[in-house]
Amino acid sequence: MNLEKVIFGFFVLLAATLNFGFFIGDIANPDLHNIYELFAALAVSLIATVLKFGDRTQIGAVHLATSLVADLQLIAASVVWVWAREISAQGMTAVHTASMVSLSGGALLANLVSVVLLVTETVTFHRG
Amino acid sequence: MSNPLLIFWAQLFGRRGPISRAPSRVHIESSSQASSTIFLVMRRMRAPLIILIVIFSVSVVGLTLIPGIGPDGQPARISLFEAFYFMSYTATTIGFGELPWPFTPAQRLWVTVSIYLSVIGWAYAIGSLLTLVQDRSFRQALALRRFTRKVTRLREPFLLMVGYGRAGELLAKDFDALGQQLVVIDESSDRVDALDLGSYHADIPGLVADAANPHHLSAAGLEHPSCAGVLALTNDDETNLAVTMTAALLRPDLPVVSRTISAPIADRMRAFGNPAVVNPFDRFGEHLRLALNAPASYQLLTWLEAGPGAELPERGHPPAVGRWVMCGYGRFGRELTADLRAANLEVTIIEPAEQGAPEPGVIVGDASEPEVLVRADLPSAVGLVAGTDNDTTNLSMLATARRLNPQLFLAARQNQPTSAALFEAMRVDALLVPTEVVAHEVYAQISTPMLWRFIQEMPARGDQWAADLIQRLRHNCGRELPALWKVKLDGEQAPALSSWLAEGRVVLGDLLRSPEDRERRLRVVPLLLLRDGEAVLTPDGATVLARDDELLFAGHGSERRELESTLVVDSTGAYVLFDQHIPSSWVWRKLSRKSPTPSTPADRGGMTSHRG
Repeated sequence: MNLEKVIFGFFVLLAATLNFGFFIGDIANPDLHNIYELFAALAVSLIATVLKFGDRTQIGAVHLATSLVADLQLIAASVVWVWAREISAQGMTAVHTASMVSLSGGALLANLVSVVLLVTETVTFHRG
Repeated sequence: MSNPLLIFWAQLFGRRGPISRAPSRVHIESSSQASSTIFLVMRRMRAPLIILIVIFSVSVVGLTLIPGIGPDGQPARISLFEAFYFMSYTATTIGFGELPWPFTPAQRLWVTVSIYLSVIGWAYAIGSLLTLVQDRSFRQALALRRFTRKVTRLREPFLLMVGYGRAGELLAKDFDALGQQLVVIDESSDRVDALDLGSYHADIPGLVADAANPHHLSAAGLEHPSCAGVLALTNDDETNLAVTMTAALLRPDLPVVSRTISAPIADRMRAFGNPAVVNPFDRFGEHLRLALNAPASYQLLTWLEAGPGAELPERGHPPAVGRWVMCGYGRFGRELTADLRAANLEVTIIEPAEQGAPEPGVIVGDASEPEVLVRADLPSAVGLVAGTDNDTTNLSMLATARRLNPQLFLAARQNQPTSAALFEAMRVDALLVPTEVVAHEVYAQISTPMLWRFIQEMPARGDQWAADLIQRLRHNCGRELPALWKVKLDGEQAPALSSWLAEGRVVLGDLLRSPEDRERRLRVVPLLLLRDGEAVLTPDGATVLARDDELLFAGHGSERRELESTLVVDSTGAYVLFDQHIPSSWVWRKLSRKSPTPSTPADRGGMTSHRG
């Protein structure tokens, strides 16, 4: 067992699950989407990105790309939340909630690709 | 063809030889090494970055969870965004104060903990980054990248010089003066720094790397289409052999010049392609033999090899007959003894310890001890060679020998560049500086192949001929060696002459007249005429030139430009060669109905031999 692989798999999966947990639920209802979950998803996603630094293989490059996409989407979702809560006069409306959650939905897709890559890598791994 | 349109036309539709270059058969990926180091660096930044993210997240979340008191006195928590804002300016030590409202003691407790945590996180991250920037392999990777980019962008032909020692430095100066671009690899970073500090006209890329590694040679442009040759000049024979091998296998079309002091290595080099091997000891022996037999030829040879701008060296008067004493019977001594014996000279050898079977005329002993030199019977000898690999020993031998016999011809080997002043003060008659021999030799071979041909054929012409040529060069060009340049009489370099050349009406003596006043001769000395592989040394004024003849001239730049205008502009050519004036524009030519080729050759009465 390789500890580095365990940590890597843990963070990739955790990023996907947290993202999923935030995304699930009625898209326009702000009560169903906990902002702390979004924060945790973003932090874990950033850690996963850093973990993917410095891999020279082709699959490593795709891994890094998916993580960067997820980070971008999650940061955009956070900015939407900050805008709705602190800046706009209406507060968390259904429109704002929907746009924040759908952005995190895009990140979820990227995270799912990451997980698929992880699984593919594991399945095709042959102990020479 | 002074008309720009005509020149343009000739450029577009003129015949040009196909540019052929054998492609490299094997391609070596040189950039992978550089990028792998970059990846390593990214990998090493993982831990500090992750720690920073974790510390930040924990601090922010903790701050939002701890209850505070709002401006209205009611319990209120600060939001994630406010907490993120607060931690951002606190962790980066900007510190705007307690926003959006004053903290409770519980919040302050948490903030204290997170300040210490985040300072540690930042210090760790920035420290790691600085360590990486200082890291040797990282810096090397960056230097290799910069170097590779510079070499890739070179568009002019360049020489790849491996080893920038004393010889390399001398050569780089010569080639830089000729406008020849170089790329340098050396193992020592001091030498590459010296290259950067050197005052060259061109920007010479230099790399600190082991040249025996083909990847480094490839990064230095061995496979670059503009690479024009490889010079292996390191002090290490093995490295030179490796470079010769790599160049011969990857770019068989390139000329390679390689330095060695060992005959077996030279043979192994010759097994790969056809490299020009320079052995300074061997060459010094040949030079000394030439100096003994033909002092003027030797003087001419050293002058031509010394590069542009060199002063005419003094002509020595070595003894042609008599007994020589050889001190130091190492590799150098053996080469030289063989050369001297081949010239039918008697040689007495002094060697420190008996090696193998005793040879006739060998004195065993330390040559730096005066009594050993006395045993060699110096008063009856004519010359002494101080050829050990220690400069102090050589100098003390020279001093003792001169005391015993002031008439002795002294030859010495200088090993360290720092001893140059001492040997100069000693006034030795012939001095071997191996690095200089190598530099001059390589310069003669690479700068123009015709000079090398000239130097090879020159000794056969005799001493008197050489003395005459030196006189002529001095008369025309002064005491400093003028630039040597070659001209090929083809459609590209001499478009104005092509039809006259085909008719056999161009005479060398007429060609070397001034375009301003054809009664004045250009101060140019033709050194060599090469036609179909046949070389004619110092062709005289009556020589009739033909198409594709190659000529090597010595003369100053201003004279060269005048000759070039004769070769390119056909109205100038007609005036210089035949004393005829033809219009230079196409319209006027048609109007005047004059053929650009004169119908009768000019009188050849004024044509005399061009000897000065």
